[in-house]
Amino acid sequence: MTTDHDTARQVVVRLDDVHKEYGDAKALDGVCLEIHAGDAVAVMGPSGCGKSTLLNMVAGLDRPTSGTVEVQGHDLGELNETGLALFRRRHVGMVFQFFNLIDDLPALDNVALAAQLTGTPARQARRRALELLDELGVADRRNNYPATLSGGERQRVAVARALMNRPALLLADEPTGALDSRSGEQVMDLLIDLNQMGQTLLIVTHDPELATRCASRLVEVADGRIARQSVLEATA
Amino acid sequence: MSAVWRASRAAVKRRRLQAFVIGLVVLCSTTTVLLALGLLDVATSPFDKAYAAQRGPHTVAAFDPAKATPEQLAQTARRPGVTAAAGPFGQSVLDVPKGWLWMPGGSLRVVGRADPGGPVDRVEVLEGRWATAPGEIVVAWPSAGTPGTELLGTTLEVPGSAPLTVVGFAAGMGKSADAWVSPEQMTALRPATAQMLYRFSDSATQARLDAALARATAGLPEGALTSAHTHLDLRKAFSSLADAYLPFMTLFGVLGLLVSALIVGNVVSGAVVSGYRHIGVLKALGFTPNQVVAVYLAMTAVPALVGSAAGTLLGNALAGPVLRIAFSGIETGRAAVGGVSSWVSVVCLLGMPALVVLTALVPALRAHRLPTARAISAGSAPLTGRGLRVQRVLAGSRLPRAVSMGLGQPFARPGRTLLTLAAIVLGVTTVTLATGLTSTMLAYSEAGRGGGALVRVEAGGPDNGRAAPLLGDARIEERLRSLPGAAGVRARALAQVTLVGQSRPAFADFYRGDDASSAGRIAEGRMPGAAGEVVAGPAFLTQNGLRLGDRVTLALGGRQTSATVVGELIEGNARALEASWDTLLPLAPDARAVEYEVRLAPGADARAYAAAAEATDPGLRASVSDAGNTATTTVVAFSTVFTVLLSAVASLGVFNTVLLGTRERRRDLGMLKSIGMTPRQVVLMTVTSVAGVGAVGGLLGIPLGILAHRLVVDNVGVVSFPESMKAVWDAPQLSGLLLAGVAIAVMGALVPARSAARTTIAAALHTE
Ligand SMILES: Nc1ncnc2c1ncn2[C@@H]1O[C@H](COP(=O)(O)OP(=O)(O)O)[C@@H](O)[C@H]1O
Ligand SMILES: [Mg+2]
Repeated sequence: MTTDHDTARQVVVRLDDVHKEYGDAKALDGVCLEIHAGDAVAVMGPSGCGKSTLLNMVAGLDRPTSGTVEVQGHDLGELNETGLALFRRRHVGMVFQFFNLIDDLPALDNVALAAQLTGTPARQARRRALELLDELGVADRRNNYPATLSGGERQRVAVARALMNRPALLLADEPTGALDSRSGEQVMDLLIDLNQMGQTLLIVTHDPELATRCASRLVEVADGRIARQSVLEATA
Repeated sequence: MSAVWRASRAAVKRRRLQAFVIGLVVLCSTTTVLLALGLLDVATSPFDKAYAAQRGPHTVAAFDPAKATPEQLAQTARRPGVTAAAGPFGQSVLDVPKGWLWMPGGSLRVVGRADPGGPVDRVEVLEGRWATAPGEIVVAWPSAGTPGTELLGTTLEVPGSAPLTVVGFAAGMGKSADAWVSPEQMTALRPATAQMLYRFSDSATQARLDAALARATAGLPEGALTSAHTHLDLRKAFSSLADAYLPFMTLFGVLGLLVSALIVGNVVSGAVVSGYRHIGVLKALGFTPNQVVAVYLAMTAVPALVGSAAGTLLGNALAGPVLRIAFSGIETGRAAVGGVSSWVSVVCLLGMPALVVLTALVPALRAHRLPTARAISAGSAPLTGRGLRVQRVLAGSRLPRAVSMGLGQPFARPGRTLLTLAAIVLGVTTVTLATGLTSTMLAYSEAGRGGGALVRVEAGGPDNGRAAPLLGDARIEERLRSLPGAAGVRARALAQVTLVGQSRPAFADFYRGDDASSAGRIAEGRMPGAAGEVVAGPAFLTQNGLRLGDRVTLALGGRQTSATVVGELIEGNARALEASWDTLLPLAPDARAVEYEVRLAPGADARAYAAAAEATDPGLRASVSDAGNTATTTVVAFSTVFTVLLSAVASLGVFNTVLLGTRERRRDLGMLKSIGMTPRQVVLMTVTSVAGVGAVGGLLGIPLGILAHRLVVDNVGVVSFPESMKAVWDAPQLSGLLLAGVAIAVMGALVPARSAARTTIAAALHTE
């Protein structure tokens, strides 16, 4: 990778001196970070150091106390609640540790939901949802309710939902944290595949294996600050 | 216990809004229940209550003093079955001339009593004082209010004795005498009868009263008892209006109780059910099942106690004015309708928390049995059956996804949805009933009040003690007609006639002239048009056993004429009938009108007309009549109070249901927002989730309300409404009511929906 190449790639995320305080507690304490298109960034650090908070800032799920967050050229600080919702719809997909699927909807409708919110007709949304479930290997589970899926299956449905609107940025907060090692591995492989197809990734984890296998860059956080950044060798 | 207490305190703290809503619902419900119970309490038996308060006699007996000595009569008071007695008092009948005080003349039943109090028949002195010396008399005032002091000092000539001076006016519900004098004066009047007043332990029926009297007088010589009358006769004569409103008031009372109990149950059980996950965590921590139940009971009981105490206070503060307004339309005679008895407050204060704890107990016990693992995963239990299919269909529909998700939500929690539905149905039923009654009552008060103001011009005469007019009857009518502003004049004569075959006299009004105002007063049949036709109110007809088409014979001063009942009025005094002037002519050929009702042209100045009318003849008195119907006030006031309270309770119930649902779905909402659901879509979804239920509730509640309205208007005995006043429903009004159902639901949903839309997603998702 040359320097030229680096600057040519589009900046997807730019955090500038971001602070976040909950009352007296400082969750983020002056974070600066840039993520380019096609990057796979892993955020690591001990529990409570501010990883999820950082991710929430990027997703526009929460607002910084000070500093600016720019994603795909949008300054999130200038968007109101509705603006943020529309921004998330178009630009980011999120995967959570505990899946956060809707219990009352079968897998297919959980995935289709993301597109339907934007007004895509049900038929079309379901067609794309089925394609995604198929790509992720859980198409046969499309009529199952979340409660009857295994953890790995639930997380793959969640990934499918996150990808539904073709986001520029896929955010994942401890995506394997609630999974056994085999399911975790499958989800990891899935993320690697996605990145190789050009999907920009920001993954929060404290699993060093996940970080080294999936990521091209490693960001280490401690006490709300970025302690170290390193570029990883691309895996074979 | 301290862990339990700490856990429940923490639970209440974290669910502050929920605790507040429980408290508020209990407060409103307690107020409603208190008013409802107070109303039922007062309305059940206003006569009996007031009568008991005055210790009115169950039986007033007259004895022949020649056959039984005073000692023998006093003995009867100590017989078994007699709880209290007074007497013997001397009783004598005096003749009074026509026009003495307010009386039509005739006889006056005078009793000698040393004081108005005593164990039985406490007589209330309204004006002046009690008769204590010879030559003094106290006269009974027969109606509500007081006669004023001007008439004190009036004297009554007594043949063969010194005249009596009126020193006071008094009233007793027992109607044991027309006037009272001191015992010394009574001796001077040579009493022909001895009066005993009894209260018996068993006074429910005529037969039991007869038996009790027979037992009390068993030891007396043959023929000593000459006559007796019982409180049952008085009760029958007591304004039947009070009874007429009973179905109406009872319905509101029962509705209030029902809605309140239902909503409290809904709110409380909802609170417990939504806490299942929390219950699982407590159990995992090592709380015993009983401790878990205790936490949940404490959690609901604390706000309930606060709410019921505040509600009892508020209810008591409201009860006085509300009941006064409610009964202002009902002639209760001397029976005063005051505040609410204290037992009602006690019932509310203890009953409402008990109800809350009881309703909390059912789901809490279910939680008691719930396995910990299932409780923890309570939220994620898969749905089964029909609910799923509905979700599927909705997910595939063309509706915006926020709307179709909202519509699907009620099917996810069918139990809670049913409770909410019940709350809305009852709310809408109440609103429907109240609007219907209000419309009927407004139509009723409009009847006979078309056009401009009404001026009553009263002619002086022996009945009111004023100078008679100088002009003749026909001349007066003609003058009144020609005064500016008059649109119609109707002359009225009043006569006390006898219905041949009936013991009680009837008051008959005879009308002449324009009768524009009679339109809409007839419930069935028609107004009298020709000679020999009479109409009367339902009370008169029932009490005399008359129906339309029946013939009666009217007698007055030795003359008779026969007449046919051609119509039933909407309402009317139980002793009054109406006929046209032509019917009066054969009875009293030279009768004069006592009053002229002048209907003014719309916009005409009523005061100016009244002044001009009085200037016509010194014997005329004019007054502007604004007969704001007091019965209407009663119904409208009551409908309003209960509608407001019940709507508040129903809305709070719905509010709470949606609040709980929203809280339960916090994580889902956070997730939906994370995938791009806008705040507007969140509100839309939450509101649609209840609007559907609201619409169904409206569709069910409206027919129920119409039915209830029918039931009420058909059973208000003294007022028999014509069909036109019962059919008050039309399409715009009904759709308005349907909207009311949806509005109640949406109002309840809007606040939690807004707050759900505003919660930070990060915080919502953090709850995991
Ligand atoms: N909603 C919140 N309210 C208060 N404090 C919070 C909230 N979210 C996170 N924190 C605090 O911020 C710090 C960082 O949290 P988080 O970003 O979740 O850490 P992690 O690195 O484990 O994901 C922690 O000390 C946490 O307690
Ligand atoms: Mg975290």
